[in-house]
Order: sequence, then structure tokens, then C-alpha cells
Amino acid sequence: MGRVITITSGKGGVGKTTTTANLGTALALQGGRVAVVDADIGLRNLDVVMGLENRIVYDLVDVVEGRARLRQALIKDKRLPELCLLPAAQTRDKDAVSREQMIDLTAQLRREFDFVLIDSPAGIENGFRNAIAGADEVIIVTTPEVSAVRDADRIIGLVEAAEKGPPNLVVNRIKPRLVNRGEMLSVEDVLELLAITLIGIVPDDESIVTSTNRGEAAVYDHQSQAGRAFLDVARRLRGEDVPFPVLQEQQGVLERFFGIFGRRRS
Amino acid sequence: MGFFENLFGGRRDRSASVAKQRLMMVLVDDRYKLTPETLEQMKVEIAEVLSRYLPPVDAEQIEVKILRGEATDYLKADIPLKRGQPDMG
Repeated sequence: MGRVITITSGKGGVGKTTTTANLGTALALQGGRVAVVDADIGLRNLDVVMGLENRIVYDLVDVVEGRARLRQALIKDKRLPELCLLPAAQTRDKDAVSREQMIDLTAQLRREFDFVLIDSPAGIENGFRNAIAGADEVIIVTTPEVSAVRDADRIIGLVEAAEKGPPNLVVNRIKPRLVNRGEMLSVEDVLELLAITLIGIVPDDESIVTSTNRGEAAVYDHQSQAGRAFLDVARRLRGEDVPFPVLQEQQGVLERFFGIFGRRRS
Repeated sequence: MGFFENLFGGRRDRSASVAKQRLMMVLVDDRYKLTPETLEQMKVEIAEVLSRYLPPVDAEQIEVKILRGEATDYLKADIPLKRGQPDMG
């Protein structure tokens, strides 16, 4: 039986979809059978981020309403045969799916896959509640900004109230140069405020823009710091003890190279 | 804020520490509906109670934080006690 993991944040635009796409790809690269599910009904996005938008025939709502079987709606990734996408419906609204339907759907998916990653919509309404309904675990994505951290705290409370266990945290878009100057909340600051377990530190990285433009995951780009960070998150999810590398200010090639060997507290 | 700090650019707190302080207040309010005013009132009352048993406690010097633990949150208060007055009351 696979693990169902929901990626959520409260605030929009902090990198939920990018995290889902990269984590899904990373887990599949590391040998897992992975399904990524776009639960943002009406605002379909995971398909374009993964470059699969031209292959959609059926969507999540078609499956839960019985117009398509799950296997017909699942889209195989371009490169990785063990990675599949279940796209959101684009023409329906958030209330097209019920909590029970989401739980049934995740129960079906976990029989076929090792990991089922659910990309949650922003907000704290039904869409979010449906997205965590069938989850075993929750990953919260935040950025080091006051608005995102505040919303993350709210979401943590709701996840704990729903008895989904203590969620894991990904701090996204860290800018080491600003942190060093004391002009951006550090990962330590965010952890002290939110008091949950850290599973990933992802630096702000321009390569995310270019990889998203092309519809390719950043984890394929060996130059991408963010890509490497997502590969690390995947390994930690699988239970490996991966130290958090010291983030380098993006400058010289040499610095980047030596940054790989720098280690923060283990 | 002293002259030298001004001179060397320490005139304003770094924005990250301002953000952290603000967030601490906001999150406590979000979680417990505890406004800064109520928090101050709580400190005054804590000081009153403690001052009955200990040397007088200055409410303004009390630091109260609410920390999130795994299952429960914790209220942590740092309360400075004046030393060297053992024969109170």
C-alpha cells in the first residue's frame, strides 16, 4: 500500500505545484511508482508545469463521476514510465468533488502506487479539506515571508485538528544573500515560529523559471540548486538521513561547486 | 540606540528580526485570540501575583512566548528576579 502525501500551504504562489512536480519526478527517478494528483479543481496547473497538458483526455472529476476509469485518466510522464498525473478538471468548480469521493480515489491510487502526491489548492476551504481528506501525511510549503509563514501556521493548526499527524515543512525560495544580511527570515527563524519538522530547504533559483517554461522538472537539471534540494526532500521522505547543505549565494561556479561539500549541523 | 550604532549603520533593526517579532505576536493572536493589549494585561497580573511571594517583579521586563509543540503549545515566560533581597515582607 502506497503513502498518500498532500502538499499544501494556505497562501497561494509559494510553490506547491512546483514542489509536487519536482518531488513526484524525484521519487520516480529514485525508483518509486508515483502518482501526482492535481486537486485544484477549476484551476488546473500541475499538467502545464509537468509538460503534459497536451495529453489530457479525462480528468479527476470524470473519474469520481464514473465517466472514466482511473487508468484511462492517468497520464504517463514523458520520460518516466513509473510517474503518472491525474489532472484536475478545468471547467468545473471546487465543489464538484466531495470529501468521500477524494478518500475513495486515494484508496484506489494507493493500491497501484508507492507514492500518491496531492497538489492542494490554496486557501482553507473545501478544496483544501478535500485534498487532505485521504492523506496519510502532509507537507507544508512556505516561503520566508510574513504572509506565507502566518498562513502556514494556520494550516498547521487545521492539519493537526484533522489528525493527519505533525506535518513536514519545506521552506522554499530562500535567498542566502538576504538571510546573511539579516534582511530575510532564516530557516531557523521559520522553524522556531512554526515548530514542525523540516524536510526541505529550497533556494530561490532562476532555473525553476526556465524549467517550468519548458515543462520539465528542475530535478533533471544538475546545475539547479533547487533541483538538488528537491532530490534531497525525496530521499528524506523515503527515510534516508540526508544532511541539509549550506546554501550558497549564487555567484561563482567555484563557490557553487564547493557548496556541495559544505555541511550544516547534521 | 547609541551614537556608534548610528554611525555604523545599526540605526534600524534588520528587517528579518522585525519580521520575526511581528510574526510572533501575530501567531499568538491567531492561535489564542490574544491581542498585544491582553498580553500586556496578563504580564501585569503575573507580576502582581509573583510580587506577593517574591521581590517586586517589573511587568515590563516579563517576556512571554507561546511555543508550538507537537501535541500541545507551551507558554514560556522569562521573568527577571531582583537578587539580594532575601528578607522581603
